[in-house]
Amino acid sequence: MKRPIILLPAAVAVIVGILMIGPVYIIDEGEQAAVVQIGRIVRVITEAGPYIRIPFIDEVVRYPKRIMAWDGEQKSMPTREKQYIWVDITARWRISDPQKFYESISTINAAYSKLGEIIDSEVRTVVAENYLRETVRNSNIILERLSTVDSLGIGDSIDASRIPTLMQTGAGYEPIQRGRRRLAEEILTRSRKMVPEYGIELIDVVARQIRYSDELTQSVYARMIKERNQIAQAFRSDGEGKKAEWLGRMDNERRSILSAAYEKAESIRGAADADATRIYADAYNKDRSFFEFWRAMESYQTTLPKFDKTLSTSMDYFRYLYSPR
Amino acid sequence: MRNVTPSMFSGLFNQGIILLVIAGIVILTLLGTSFYIIDQTEEGVVTRLGKYIATTGPGLHFKLPLGIDKHYVVNVKAVQTEQFGFRTLKSGVSLVYANQTGESTMLTGDLNIVEVEWIIQYRIADSKAWTFNVLERTSTIRDVSRSAINMLVGDRAIMDIMGPERSAIETAGAEFMNETFRGYGLGIDVIAVKLQNIDPPAGVQEAFDDVNKAEQDMNRLINEGQQAYNAEIPRAKGEAERHLLEAQGYATERVNNANGEVARFNLVYEEYRKAPEVTRQRLYYEMVEKVFKDDKETTIIDRNFNNFLPLKDLGSSSGTQRSRQ
Repeated sequence: MKRPIILLPAAVAVIVGILMIGPVYIIDEGEQAAVVQIGRIVRVITEAGPYIRIPFIDEVVRYPKRIMAWDGEQKSMPTREKQYIWVDITARWRISDPQKFYESISTINAAYSKLGEIIDSEVRTVVAENYLRETVRNSNIILERLSTVDSLGIGDSIDASRIPTLMQTGAGYEPIQRGRRRLAEEILTRSRKMVPEYGIELIDVVARQIRYSDELTQSVYARMIKERNQIAQAFRSDGEGKKAEWLGRMDNERRSILSAAYEKAESIRGAADADATRIYADAYNKDRSFFEFWRAMESYQTTLPKFDKTLSTSMDYFRYLYSPR
Repeated sequence: MRNVTPSMFSGLFNQGIILLVIAGIVILTLLGTSFYIIDQTEEGVVTRLGKYIATTGPGLHFKLPLGIDKHYVVNVKAVQTEQFGFRTLKSGVSLVYANQTGESTMLTGDLNIVEVEWIIQYRIADSKAWTFNVLERTSTIRDVSRSAINMLVGDRAIMDIMGPERSAIETAGAEFMNETFRGYGLGIDVIAVKLQNIDPPAGVQEAFDDVNKAEQDMNRLINEGQQAYNAEIPRAKGEAERHLLEAQGYATERVNNANGEVARFNLVYEEYRKAPEVTRQRLYYEMVEKVFKDDKETTIIDRNFNNFLPLKDLGSSSGTQRSRQ
């Protein structure tokens, strides 16, 4: 009656004690481990679950089975044309062989610096072997778009067909042979050769960012400014040209409108003159001598009053001044 | 004995209470670690002794206590956002952003520099993969996203990036990221990549603005030209019309005058034929009358007075003086 009551806590204590020493250990999902028995690896565990070990003798070294990120420092390095650029590389990796990893590197931090050594040198090699454009661009789509208007920064305000004559930017793009992704793959392939001995698998290497060095940045700014200025100038000149065109068109049209009107007006006048001439001739031809007399009378009345006149009495008019007959 | 028995009894009683308390604690602990609640927006990922066994949906769930079963709660409904090139410092009515220039600086395909800010939105699609496959998940998402946008920007000309290629970059970026994340087994779906501000670097902003100004200038110049044209041409048209109307007026007048004069001539002529001599005489005298009637200054010289001219005052005062000397 008394015994089990006393024994129960004792048994529990013993079980808890044994468990605390730890013959049973659990490897979680996403973990793997190397079991080290007095400095010697006796077992590699890659599957999650409970496992038994000899307490105090077996040491369980746990490693992540998950993919890890390696974050490279930004480094300045020259391209093939000796332009200095900052390249920021990151990589993804995992421990593929805990045994080798334990033997060669053993800690994650050491792995980071090892990866740094390997990848950095490969990045330098690949960048130095290639032109800047290969590092920056990934494909040649920029060449296909070159002929279009938009690449020059002209909106829809200008007739597209006029652009080539309007502006000569001279920015021909060299086609690229490989491009950024292929270079990253090349870095990956080269680096991959170095890492299996450390029990590491490299999954990818990507360029997170590529920048110009600070001195280069300044000269690029200067170039960009100049390019923009050129385009601005082209806009303004185009505007001035168009304005001149309008003024020319204006002058042209004004002259042609006025001269056409003059032409028409003169023919109207001419026709009227002709009509008048015919009317006069028809009438006056009836009696030439009377016409001459009549017309002379009319004409004298119109013209003579304006003259300063000195008359001789020899005029027929004064005939009766001297004699009634 | 009487003394002992109650003490024995009370000892037993005390032991019973202790056991009850222990059992109570144990039961409470077991119950407390046996249930978990999964919210409507979440999924539970359950491991038993480290090994994955199930993914559970919303509701109250039972699990084995004492850490034998573990569960991880993953939000699978919420759309999560990562910001690049800027951080929202304070959201709400007025958003405050901090610009992170380092991250947003990129090289374009035409080797210019551009500042790109963007966000990605993603949702966890596979809670098991999300929990176990990748260690540094946020930095992995950020690295891949930055590399994708850098690559796509590096493939295009700066004006394309700032304008027409925006949505192409967004689409291709989301595609590239999803492909990469699937390769890692990260368990997320990138729903959207959204480019935010795309600006030229601060140092060249002014030149870019000037291009816009130049475009305005161009339009202004063209408008000026058109304005001058529009001001001048209608006026010229009116003037032309005036010329024509004047000519028509002249024509009408000319013909009417001719008709009138001829009519008069004809009528007079009819009468003249009846009495030519008399009419001639009459017309002659009428003419002379008309010409000299109102003229006070006409000089009449006798037909025999031949040397009149040198004496005539020609109206010049100097001539008058000279003649008096």
